[in-house]
Amino acid sequence: MKWAQKCYVLVLVVTIAGIAFRLPGLAKRPMHGDEAVHAYKFGELLEGNTYRYDPDEYHGPSLAYFTLIPARLSGIDKYKDLTEFTVRIVPVFFAVLLVLMSLLLVDGLGRFAVIIAALLTAISPAFVFYSRYYIQEMLLVCFTFGVIGCGYRYFRSRKILWAISSGIFLGLMHATKETCIIAYGSMLSALILVLILQPKQEFISNIKKTMKTRHLIAAMVSAIIVSAMFYSSFFTNPGGVWDSIRTYLVYFHRAGQNQLHIHRWYYYLKMLIYSQYYDGPIWSEAIIVVLAVFGFAAAMTRKSIADVNSGLLRFIAFYTVIMTVVYSVIPYKTPWCMLGFLHGMILLGGAGVWVIIKSVSNVWVRGLIQLVLAAGAVHLGWQAYLANYIYYADSRNPYVYAHPTNDVFTMVQRVDEISAAHREGHNMHIEVICPGGDYWPLPWYLRRYDSVGWLNEVDENTPAAPVIIASASVEPALLRKLYQLPPPGERNLYVPLFDTKSWLRPDVELRGYITKELWDSCQQQISTRNEK
Amino acid sequence: MMKKEFVSVVKVGVLAVLVMCLLFVQSCKKSEPKDSTEGTGQQGGEVTKNSGGTIAPPAEKLVPLDIKLPRAMFVGTPKPARVPNLEKPLGKDRPPFLVPPGVTNISFGKPVTSTDPEPIIGDIEMITDGDKEAADGSYVEFGPMKQSVTLDLGAEYEIYAILFWHYHKEGLVYFDVVVQVADDPDFITNVNTLFNNDDDNSSGLGKGDDMHYVETNEGKLVDAKGVKGRYVRLHSNGNNANEYNHYIEVEVFGRAVK
Repeated sequence: MKWAQKCYVLVLVVTIAGIAFRLPGLAKRPMHGDEAVHAYKFGELLEGNTYRYDPDEYHGPSLAYFTLIPARLSGIDKYKDLTEFTVRIVPVFFAVLLVLMSLLLVDGLGRFAVIIAALLTAISPAFVFYSRYYIQEMLLVCFTFGVIGCGYRYFRSRKILWAISSGIFLGLMHATKETCIIAYGSMLSALILVLILQPKQEFISNIKKTMKTRHLIAAMVSAIIVSAMFYSSFFTNPGGVWDSIRTYLVYFHRAGQNQLHIHRWYYYLKMLIYSQYYDGPIWSEAIIVVLAVFGFAAAMTRKSIADVNSGLLRFIAFYTVIMTVVYSVIPYKTPWCMLGFLHGMILLGGAGVWVIIKSVSNVWVRGLIQLVLAAGAVHLGWQAYLANYIYYADSRNPYVYAHPTNDVFTMVQRVDEISAAHREGHNMHIEVICPGGDYWPLPWYLRRYDSVGWLNEVDENTPAAPVIIASASVEPALLRKLYQLPPPGERNLYVPLFDTKSWLRPDVELRGYITKELWDSCQQQISTRNEK
Repeated sequence: MMKKEFVSVVKVGVLAVLVMCLLFVQSCKKSEPKDSTEGTGQQGGEVTKNSGGTIAPPAEKLVPLDIKLPRAMFVGTPKPARVPNLEKPLGKDRPPFLVPPGVTNISFGKPVTSTDPEPIIGDIEMITDGDKEAADGSYVEFGPMKQSVTLDLGAEYEIYAILFWHYHKEGLVYFDVVVQVADDPDFITNVNTLFNNDDDNSSGLGKGDDMHYVETNEGKLVDAKGVKGRYVRLHSNGNNANEYNHYIEVEVFGRAVK
């Protein structure tokens, strides 16, 4: 087999490994609040065939629209019939596509570097973890790389199709998440830096050669059409296009206001290099960072490396550094936001490995380096396994961020048991009372219940439901509603719904209450079932 | 690649790694738990607004009813009696019942009257003496057929639960158990029937839908729904082993009317 064929086969093998890491047990981890919110928004699109972009919340529309594909393929047309698989398969798909798309740079970074980059993307714990997360980030990273990959192919071939493809990916980036402007800025700055750092004569000729005007226009038009299509809800809500610009006022304002996600500048880098919580394992993707440093050094110190396009390598180096710096400087941080520059590091890391291996002539030393790198890859894979299948909802996992605990499953199972005994079944009246609407992802897990009251505070004007789930903080108000407001003789005795203390998230306790009457009825059914 | 060039790559690379190590030496200490009260890591996601944080202890909360159970006199699940409409055994402990603060046993030591003024075994006062054991000397046996006991709480109360034990040394099932609350000792004014498993109206108090149950050391707890009343009456009509009626203890949980 030729080396070129080997490269494709190896990337394919790596892609299969990436699928194997991502696909099993997609419902295993409780849905994050954000995932549940996005799934709810998608439910509106699924059932009503309408989507209106909200400039205040929820990010871009692409995630919802792409989720229509697995939903339709599964024959699902109701929100309540959705499963975790139906929604989480979308980021999984784009993560796998991202691995495969490494091939776009096969003659830019070199085959070896591309295989390594594909491998690191496939097994990076952060990448695997957030590939199984129903949020926009994986789509954004995939589309961003699409711009780089197609852009590179355009510069190689000058074919308009690559320019249009690049434009489509640019539009998709914008239709995915507002933070795309960081990647836009980083790519543009990196491109300018690459051109500036070239010798003067080359610089001028390269500027002229970089892009034909009509190709540039074609790319821009493609980007605008794609973005406008999504934001206008496929031309049914033209105002959405203007909202997609107006949204930046909201996000710039919020970035400085929301104290919940303000972190120090080294938050992302520390998370990647070293983190340990309580007695949990040590987590580190330092090997990627270190290899990226070597890739960066090679990009800065050499004019050309065999098989490697120095312009592309420099572009990726600048792009990665700018992205890392910008994301680190912005105080508002959530861990999934680092995927953008982590992918840049991975690409640089691929080149870094190639440079190191190529530079060593001694067989033993080369063998030793390869052994160390293989051990590093195994370690990454092991961490990816731990993060996704052992510590998937454990706060000792650095990527588990503001995540619901497994108690959510127990809570929902209990509600299901109760509804099975209730004469109205899934029509059973349930009240969920959490100040500030802090009950997500419960709306996802209780999506099959038609009569759930989602409340921020105790509503004294409605009769108490037989099943109540509430934040501990509202108990005094609940006590008034249950035992002071109803007339004597109508104050139902309640018993705890859950056998043990239950946590929505660490530090956020939810209490469950059920009328004694319903509890007795449910228990009779369970006992009868157990007897049989 | 030239050796010189390789050395320069390594130099820059190693230098960059060293700089990063120095930068992070401060932060490479073992991390604080993300879900500590000072941390922000677990408080809400990117989309969900105002997703809360540490919950302050509530000022007033629902409290479990303070029930002290007697010793169990038989081990395991009681043998199912051949009684229609019989509750299945729980197979586990009963859950705590949540009541407002200030709800206590208001029947302790309160006077009791009965339709059988001269019990066959025991004294009528034993029904509210706090002794819930099933041993000899702890229960009262009344005559056969329909009998009732009436507790005078001495004042009007908000009643939240009534807990009673007929006889839990064996897994007996008592018939026509009816629990009522009223404002007067003759049960004419403001009569509330809280429990009734008389499925054929043989007691003449109306047909009840509640299930028969097997006596255990947990007693039978009836939800009184905060009903107001002064007098509590419990009816029974023999059991599945004999025609006699037994009472070990009756506890009424409530609080003074505000």
